[in-house]
Amino acid sequence: MIAPTRASTLRAVALLCVSAAPALCPWPALAADAATPSQPYQMGQGLYFPAQALRVGGYADLQYYGPDQKHSALSLEDLSLFLTKDVGSRWKFFTETELSDALSISHHQTKTKSATVDMQRLYADYRASDVATIRFGKFLTPVGQWNLVHADPLVWTTSRPLTTTAAFSRHMNGAMMYGTVTLSHNDVDYWLFVDDGKSLSFTSGDDDAYDAFGATSKLTNDFQHAVGGQFLYHLLDDRLSLGASLLRYELKNPRQQYRLAGLDFDWTGRFAEWSGEAVYRTADNAQTPDEYGGFLQAVVPLPRDLYLVGRYERYRNSLPRKTTAVETLGINYRPLPSIVVKFERIEGSNNDPFVPSGWFASLGLLF
Amino acid sequence: MSKIAYGRLCLALVALAAGGDMARPAVGAAGGESQIAVIASNFDRVSAIDGNRLRNIYLRKIFLNADDRAYVPVNLPPVAWLRSAFSSAILHMNASQLQTYWDRQYFQGISPPYVLKSQAAVAKFVAVTPGAIGYVQPCFLTPKVHVILLIPIDSTSARSRHRCPPQAAR
Repeated sequence: MIAPTRASTLRAVALLCVSAAPALCPWPALAADAATPSQPYQMGQGLYFPAQALRVGGYADLQYYGPDQKHSALSLEDLSLFLTKDVGSRWKFFTETELSDALSISHHQTKTKSATVDMQRLYADYRASDVATIRFGKFLTPVGQWNLVHADPLVWTTSRPLTTTAAFSRHMNGAMMYGTVTLSHNDVDYWLFVDDGKSLSFTSGDDDAYDAFGATSKLTNDFQHAVGGQFLYHLLDDRLSLGASLLRYELKNPRQQYRLAGLDFDWTGRFAEWSGEAVYRTADNAQTPDEYGGFLQAVVPLPRDLYLVGRYERYRNSLPRKTTAVETLGINYRPLPSIVVKFERIEGSNNDPFVPSGWFASLGLLF
Repeated sequence: MSKIAYGRLCLALVALAAGGDMARPAVGAAGGESQIAVIASNFDRVSAIDGNRLRNIYLRKIFLNADDRAYVPVNLPPVAWLRSAFSSAILHMNASQLQTYWDRQYFQGISPPYVLKSQAAVAKFVAVTPGAIGYVQPCFLTPKVHVILLIPIDSTSARSRHRCPPQAAR
């Protein structure tokens, strides 16, 4: 075996510059020699600086809310910036900084006062082995699949199912071990995590449940402590995935201990993609009723980059004690992989306090 | 060295790399063009790899090799026929599935493999990059890389439509 040298590494970076990022290449002459150089920036994959092993990207979405019996509004809902930096072969640092509600136009009023800047995610990954990476910091709670990819351009609807946010905190502050192992030629992704929100907090303020525009009931579920795990089994060449989550936690308010179990699936068939998630939560305090719910979603591809989306959700809240049903029918237009335009109608029963009925739309962009 | 002799040398190298391993098909002079050669740098100890591991390296689920170096998988451009053949044989995903996969990974801070513009560029890059893995037609092999897996592809279509260009590996 030949030992690698610094010179060989430099040659590799030079070649990569020639082929992948000529504009940022520290050797302009080499970059200029590239016959058909690709761009250092690719929409949906960010801007890469090879010499610094740094990638800058993010997403933005503009949303229209038209709840029945309320004023409509237009909002630059999210403007998120990702920074990813590799350090050596084992360490990776990632941050997501989000500017929320940067601009809101409603009923002849333009507002920027409610704009907030928040550190959505901030973590370091240490690649301990082939099958285990250790993460420290603030990260998304691995319960179900929606919460892990909740950005507007990555999901099929402007609205978010209650099942994916009502019963558990969207973020954790702590540590996690995750990775992929192969069992009988199929991959199993796993996440094992612990949260100590009481002692660790990487951002100020509470991490309440996602609240839909026009909702009058605010759901609180900030973790005080949490421990749990999730498994996701991939089958049929990744066309089918089956997931299960278990979580035990204490909320800051109401200060109680809970146990949560979740199931999820995603199946890509020939004519439609089906997905669903379900959660069941019990409280240690016998006075607090169980909370549970689930949704089933279907996406059917249509001609001309259009997709028809239908979802039915049923959710039983513990506080306030109410069963909500939400029906969503929408259409997506995806002219490019990183751009999506959505338009949807929401109806339901007992849904107005949490997910008001109405017309909703959004324009999402991964950049 | 004549073009024919060089081509034979390339194929001999492939056969040498595949020698004795029943799991990997031997390459003959007629069959070389109907296979994809997965290559690694001579800097690396890895001598063979299985399809599952290769898949997880290309999906960026496995990051470190046996030498504790970061894997650097490289791809051909999306329009390249060899990339389609490789994706179908190893990743078992079509372009749409892969797009969804990488969009979601991007949200987690994980980027897809680098894209190099040609097979010759892949062979050159892998040759000088510890940890790099790429795939080329056997006629693009050079002595500076070694084959860690041979993937059979549809011989009739591949051979009839995608013959190795003359002077492929220089």
